[in-house]
Amino acid sequence: MKVRDVVYKDLKLIFSDKKALVIMILMPIILSSILSMALSGSFTDYSIKKSIDIAIVKEYDKNKELKKFKNNLSNGIFSKNMSNEDINNMTTKVKDFNIENIFFNEFLDNKEIKEIINYKVLKRSDAINKLKNKELTAIVILPKDFIFDMHTNILTPFRNKVDIKVIGDPDESIKSKIVESVMKGFSQQISTLVIGKNVFIETALNEGIGYEVFNDIETIISDMTSNIKSNNINLDYEKINGKKSISSFSYYAVAMATMFILFAAGYGSRTLLEEKENITYQRMVISGTRKFKILAGKYFTIFTLALIQIITMVIFSSILLKANWGSFPLVMLISLCVVFAIAGLGILIAVITYKIGNYKVANVFESAIIQVMALLGGSFIPVEVMPEFIQKLGSFTINGLALKSYIKVMMGYGINEIFSSLLTLLIIGVIFIIISVTLLKREERWKYVKYNKVKTYETA
Amino acid sequence: MALLEVKNLEKDFKEVKAVDDISFKVQKGEIFGLLGPNGAGKSTTISIISTLLKPTKGDIKYKGESIVKNSKLIQPKLGVVPQEIALYPELSGYENLKFWGHAYNIRGKKLKKRIEDVSEIIGVKERLKDKISKYSGGMKRRINIGAALLHEPELLIMDEPTVGIDPQSRNHILETVNKLNEKGTTVIYTSHYMEEVEAICTRINIMDKGKIIASGTKDELIEIINGNKKINLKFDKVSQSLIKDLESIEYISKLDVSENEIIISSNNGENIFKDITEVVTASDSSLISIDINKPNLEAVFLHLTGRALRD
Repeated sequence: MKVRDVVYKDLKLIFSDKKALVIMILMPIILSSILSMALSGSFTDYSIKKSIDIAIVKEYDKNKELKKFKNNLSNGIFSKNMSNEDINNMTTKVKDFNIENIFFNEFLDNKEIKEIINYKVLKRSDAINKLKNKELTAIVILPKDFIFDMHTNILTPFRNKVDIKVIGDPDESIKSKIVESVMKGFSQQISTLVIGKNVFIETALNEGIGYEVFNDIETIISDMTSNIKSNNINLDYEKINGKKSISSFSYYAVAMATMFILFAAGYGSRTLLEEKENITYQRMVISGTRKFKILAGKYFTIFTLALIQIITMVIFSSILLKANWGSFPLVMLISLCVVFAIAGLGILIAVITYKIGNYKVANVFESAIIQVMALLGGSFIPVEVMPEFIQKLGSFTINGLALKSYIKVMMGYGINEIFSSLLTLLIIGVIFIIISVTLLKREERWKYVKYNKVKTYETA
Repeated sequence: MALLEVKNLEKDFKEVKAVDDISFKVQKGEIFGLLGPNGAGKSTTISIISTLLKPTKGDIKYKGESIVKNSKLIQPKLGVVPQEIALYPELSGYENLKFWGHAYNIRGKKLKKRIEDVSEIIGVKERLKDKISKYSGGMKRRINIGAALLHEPELLIMDEPTVGIDPQSRNHILETVNKLNEKGTTVIYTSHYMEEVEAICTRINIMDKGKIIASGTKDELIEIINGNKKINLKFDKVSQSLIKDLESIEYISKLDVSENEIIISSNNGENIFKDITEVVTASDSSLISIDINKPNLEAVFLHLTGRALRD
């Protein structure tokens, strides 16, 4: 027997099962239509049509902190072994280094950032009031000691922790997240700069160059800063330019497709034990069909079924809901990767169900695990509105990874931005297949026979 | 050389010894019966022959080669009709036969021809397009048999193929078995219906509690109970002279007499009926009815185990 014979037969059985068809094909279409219509209002947030208004709150005292830094430089541990000339040189460089200029003029006033973020410098209390009145989307708080810590980090071998805080409007969660990610991008680039500078100093000191190294640090920092600033801006530029508006119809078409393909895994997970109970499994084995061929048949049945579900959803949502799925080759690539993982999950549950000899695991999967995975993966509501740890959990779910990838492609991202998700899906699929085959191999010593009208199992 | 040789076969299921050191041979071209009550070990024995189970001990040779060591030797030559309806109820009869044909790698025109031939043999040609779930029990059984015939097996194992069906379908199945056998198919037929085994099997193993308790042709098995016949005579009245005359007949081993009935036990089937008729005609008692119970496999089983086959 060929694997395709099992697949063909199983698909025929599925398409003769009206209940299964309703759940797997019709339900996602109906639900995505209902949900997208019901929640379309909250989805304007997903698009970046208007710029985001934010306030910058300075909690630091620039002059005081600069003075403090200079004092530390002259009297602290760092300058203990430095000559007066070196200390004077360093103090001069402090004047030239202006973190406020970098943050405000070169970063926030950068043309690309300006297109999406409008900022005002406000007092904390005023900013909070404006946020409450919905005049602002978010507040960025530059903390106390920001100037001191940034100077320490940039100009000395020491590193102080700097926490730039973002307070967002919960009703504008996605826009707030964008502000947060922009700020994170800034922090990360500064961290990279600090690490690079520290490596330079340590290497120089190890080479015995001594404190003369700081004579050249200005040039090095200047080079690094301009380089990293441009990288930083470029990075954000790409992200922001790539983003397109995502309608609730598009979102829920993806969300429901990625949720309901889990039901394909659930459906497939029952078929191995069903075959065994109907004695058709034994009949296939008697005919000389290898168990792994039967398993492969089940795998490709789930694979094909899930692919049919996705294609149906793509066609339906594109034509009737006017959803824009983005690049077709990328959508197909994601679809193949996700059904690869889904089929792996399906046969894993199928083998466990077969081995245990009852449908408890398959039932729990269908009635509980799918719902949890759907919630974590963002099929009910976008994960961005959920706590961070739930977002992290969601990024381990097959549907979550798939949804993230589809959404990115819808927003106009390329292969690079979805590559890690696709790789994770493939790895998940491979792991599930390996576990399933191993379990079935171990099972090979378990046989079934009806004896005395009672199902008896043997361990050889 | 026997087509199939079972040697010292044992099968344990944890505490239960399902098959206990059985040996027998199946010759090419015969219909070999495995008779016994439920739980006798018939299904386990055929599961081992079907390569579905590994024996705990012993060996099975097909044309002289061990199929326990190499199941591929027998699988393409073997057709198995399971006791259960091992079909897909939501597919049509044709689709089921097509799938099981593919299981034996029969495809294309050859498969189409085989489905036609087999559906003719099992008598379901008119209903092939219907879903199995719409079939009667007997029709399902016929397709269940047909699925095992597509690859023209040399050895056909049928495990209780007539359980739960109407007499018409049962007769059709028995006729089918005979026709297949006439065309050269060797059949192993298991049943707890003694009449079926008696009707079609050339040799029979009677199994009970995992052991073979008797083996041979039907006549050889009946010989075990010495051809014991029971003749039940009913009269208007039973006279003493009649009893005396009957007792004088040579082959009568026992007489059970009641008010107007005499039950005669005899171990000879040749002249006993003629002798009894002569005595009864000459007596002053009027004969109302006569009932002759010939010994059968049921009686043999009862004789050997003290239990009825259907207990």
